[in-house]
Amino acid sequence: MWLPARFIRVVAVCLLCGLCAAAKTASAVVVEGRSSTQLLWFNDIIDGSKQVEMAQYLNVSFNGIDSGEKLSVKGYGKLDYDLKHGGEVENRLYYLYADYKGFMDKADIRLGRQFVNLSAGSALIDGIEADINKVGPVGVVVMGGRDVVFGEERELASHLYSVGAAAYLTGLPKISLDVSYYRAYDYSDIARDILGAGYRQYFLDSIQLYANARYDLTAEVFNEVLGGIKYFPTLNWMLTAEHYESYPTFDTTSIYSVFAVDQYKENTVRAEYTATSWLDISFGYSREDFGEGARANLYEAGVKLRPSMNTTIGLFHDRRWGYPGDLAGFKVYAEYNSFGKWKAAAGIDYDTYERDNMTGQETATKYWAAGKYKFAKNMSSSIRVEDNVNVNYSRDMQGRLTFDYDF
Amino acid sequence: MKKLVMPALFFLSVALIPCVYGGRDSLAQAQEKSPAPQIIQPVSEPTSTKPAEKPSAVSTPSVQDTTSHKDYATMNVKECAECHKGSGVAPTHGAYWVKEHGQVASKSRKNCVDCHGQSFCLDCHKGGGIDADLKISNYRTNYIPASHRTDFREIHPLKALDNPQTCYRCHNQRYCTECHSKFRGTDLMVQSHRRAWSDGTFQNGIAHSGFTTAQCQSCHPGGILNQNIWSSDHAREARRNLQSCQTCHNDGAVCMTCHSARSGLMVNPHPRNWDRVKDKYRSKSGGKSCRMCHDTF
Repeated sequence: MWLPARFIRVVAVCLLCGLCAAAKTASAVVVEGRSSTQLLWFNDIIDGSKQVEMAQYLNVSFNGIDSGEKLSVKGYGKLDYDLKHGGEVENRLYYLYADYKGFMDKADIRLGRQFVNLSAGSALIDGIEADINKVGPVGVVVMGGRDVVFGEERELASHLYSVGAAAYLTGLPKISLDVSYYRAYDYSDIARDILGAGYRQYFLDSIQLYANARYDLTAEVFNEVLGGIKYFPTLNWMLTAEHYESYPTFDTTSIYSVFAVDQYKENTVRAEYTATSWLDISFGYSREDFGEGARANLYEAGVKLRPSMNTTIGLFHDRRWGYPGDLAGFKVYAEYNSFGKWKAAAGIDYDTYERDNMTGQETATKYWAAGKYKFAKNMSSSIRVEDNVNVNYSRDMQGRLTFDYDF
Repeated sequence: MKKLVMPALFFLSVALIPCVYGGRDSLAQAQEKSPAPQIIQPVSEPTSTKPAEKPSAVSTPSVQDTTSHKDYATMNVKECAECHKGSGVAPTHGAYWVKEHGQVASKSRKNCVDCHGQSFCLDCHKGGGIDADLKISNYRTNYIPASHRTDFREIHPLKALDNPQTCYRCHNQRYCTECHSKFRGTDLMVQSHRRAWSDGTFQNGIAHSGFTTAQCQSCHPGGILNQNIWSSDHAREARRNLQSCQTCHNDGAVCMTCHSARSGLMVNPHPRNWDRVKDKYRSKSGGKSCRMCHDTF
């Protein structure tokens, strides 16, 4: 799989350059995007040594390629290089696809590397997705391609292939309903066979019901089920009650697929309240059930203040206790936006946790400060520096310096 | 030399694009072609990497006149509620949006793309960070989402259990294995492993590790074990979060020590509905997973 992967990347980069050159002669083509050059310094997670990396991002879209303005090309990728140790320039092509809208006035088609997301499954693929709509009350999505798998540093060889299809209702503004099917191949074996469905409907101008489910056709179990209700009596209030459960399933080609597992269940209630134009309050509570008597409780609370148009202050706290350990923490930050040349922010993140009774109570704190300056409407630079104090470091300075250019 | 070609082409394309185009000139041309829709003036800055074009406000705003969210991509999300008031559509992007967005994003005909490019999704889901928000930290070039607060290396074993599916929304299982393989196995042992079978000794003082799997049945016929913490704990931990086993024991070979049908304790690991579904596994995997433990299946 190494050769095809490399071939695809070479083709992608050539295509990108070719498009730039072609676009030069076609004045109608609109090229937009962002180039971001970043310097990043951090401690290596394994040996703790200081690392410095340089990254170059490019996010670009080409519009107006054809006279009907139906075709566009979008690409996003990065290169990064270890300035301290040298070695290869790592590359990651997130997507590069041609997007044709209104094919025969009935279909939107995407061809190339892209992220596809159906209620039955999602994947980053080198392939095609076609959304056939405007053919009645039901639209159809079909997709297929080779799965792209990223490792920690580089793209990994992949022998997985995904195909899928979805049918969804159209023309009903307050109802969203779709049924989808997702299949993944591991070479020629069928690794996954999932049936999915998504539902969302509004009632009485203040209630929303929603549900999602994935059913594993091989294991004959619901892989995931989510159901909830939202009640928003006024613009200021949003109340949510939700039930979620999952049953982990694995690729059929993995030995783990044949093992018994427990069902995980979670019940949640949440409340969001906008007290005034400058104060938002939120609260959530979850009860988790891991099976065989293991349970945990979680709550989280947050306050967001806007003492002036330019300033935002956020305070958030959460705590979990029960299986498999305890975790509590908070996050506080302040941000000032001049709506002109500059922006500044600073904050503290704190956690105290106990993984098990052999490690005892530990704490971790992150102090950070950041700023952004606009040199011009389409040109800006930002810096973020943080110090981590935790069980591994008494001082761990890391951060990033960026230069962004929008075109 | 070959290794330099790709980076060189990429950097070249980065450099060429701003040079070839007058950037904003191109945008202006596009705006000339299509009349600017009416729009209320946003008061906040764009939050996505590639904001939608921001046409000039030429007349009294009337949000209802247009149906595409593209025209409002640069607005503060809270301002959306002003227009959706009374429309019966629930406000989105609230305090819990990170948890809730997946349900919306997986539906067909989603309108996320009106304001966000795929890069916005992939920076979190596949690692990256072109749109560096000041509040967001990063490890190497990858964003660290808000759920990964402070020392996530130490805390993630706790968080990974909250909902075992959550990790896989962004990380492929191979990502976990790749990282865990860099550590010594003893450094990552979970509680149940700390009294591993290899440490236990037989009555005559011989360590378990001195026996082969072929000899297990002579002392443990039918896979019967004496009560001990490890045997019951590891089974429970595995059932509650089998993915975590896979992060270190990628091929599951260590499981075969006791769960193979060929040797060892021969403990049956299958779920209750196995008899009903086993034929599906056999046919779909081409017998691949069956052959790991069984000679005949």
